[in-house]
Amino acid sequence: MQSGELELRPGAGEASQARGLYVYCVAPGSEETGLGPVGLDGRPVHTLACEGLCALVHDCSAQPYQSRDPEVVAAWVLAHHHVVEAAWKRWGTVLPLTFNTIIRAEQGDAEEALTGWLKEQREALTVKLKALAGKSEYAVQVFWDSALVAKLVTESCPEIRKLGQEMASKPRGLAYMYGQQLERLLAREMEALATERCQAVYGCLSRWTDNVRLEKLTRGEDGRRMLINLSCLVPRERCAALKSELDQVGNRAGYSVRLAGPLPPYSFC
Amino acid sequence: MDPAPRAPATLVDLLDRVLDRGLVINADIIICLAGVPLIGLNLRAALAGVETMARHGVMTEWDRSIRARIRAPEAMAPALAPAAAGNPQARSARSGG
Repeated sequence: MQSGELELRPGAGEASQARGLYVYCVAPGSEETGLGPVGLDGRPVHTLACEGLCALVHDCSAQPYQSRDPEVVAAWVLAHHHVVEAAWKRWGTVLPLTFNTIIRAEQGDAEEALTGWLKEQREALTVKLKALAGKSEYAVQVFWDSALVAKLVTESCPEIRKLGQEMASKPRGLAYMYGQQLERLLAREMEALATERCQAVYGCLSRWTDNVRLEKLTRGEDGRRMLINLSCLVPRERCAALKSELDQVGNRAGYSVRLAGPLPPYSFC
Repeated sequence: MDPAPRAPATLVDLLDRVLDRGLVINADIIICLAGVPLIGLNLRAALAGVETMARHGVMTEWDRSIRARIRAPEAMAPALAPAAAGNPQARSARSGG
């Protein structure tokens, strides 16, 4: 991996470069405080407060972070997350900013530009922060064991059973045709079941969540198929109910559920 | 308070959220991000590979060290530990899995 080429670490910028501020998140606090060397590449993170809101930032040069080295990017993503998460725990709610949000100082300094923005957007930011207070994001994924579900569908579908029995008494050439028909029928039944289960899961989750976002399906491991992939915004007091609802889904034969979090509300701000 | 045990977030969970989600500031005080398509692309490709490779015993050390780093935010944010300890969520966030 060509990690040296095309790697930009604005934290290490020279004095000649324009000063910038890397912004992690906005929180409802007015303390001016330092959080220690917890930022990207160990940069010291501090708050910049203005009228009851603060932004968590580190000083850097006005260049985006760039790297082709997956390990470097992984470390940056984790550092960004840990700062946002720490602020989220400390102030109860945050508006995470997207990675690589860097304030530049064209005239004046970056601090002025950022506090000016906080002031100007104060009302909108406060409304958003209030809407997210006491809520956490969870990743919810439901999988099924394709082989086991296929077996269960085969056993429970009369049409498939009948075809299977007929197939057994047919000569080889004809049995092959029956086999093909049986496979198509099984695939159709499984798709119908997958759709039905997805709708049921989505339906019952919506009772415990404030907002749900459908995510792309990814390939499951070990013969498992991902049926549904969601980001859910959940009020804290409903987390236990959500968990027990998902446990019921996961207790069905052939199904498994992954509930990961709580996370700061990245997907809902 | 937050009794339900659950899995900790993985790097895959965090990647899309940190890189592609979150508030976007639409103002000219932001440096132009148009030239930053590379961030995360190789990592995404690497992660897709790691799942497969880890099953064959390759890159397990890298996988383990990344997972350990996800689980150890206290070590990285000592200044915040006292504040976090007072919040019930701080504990449950890492108690699952």
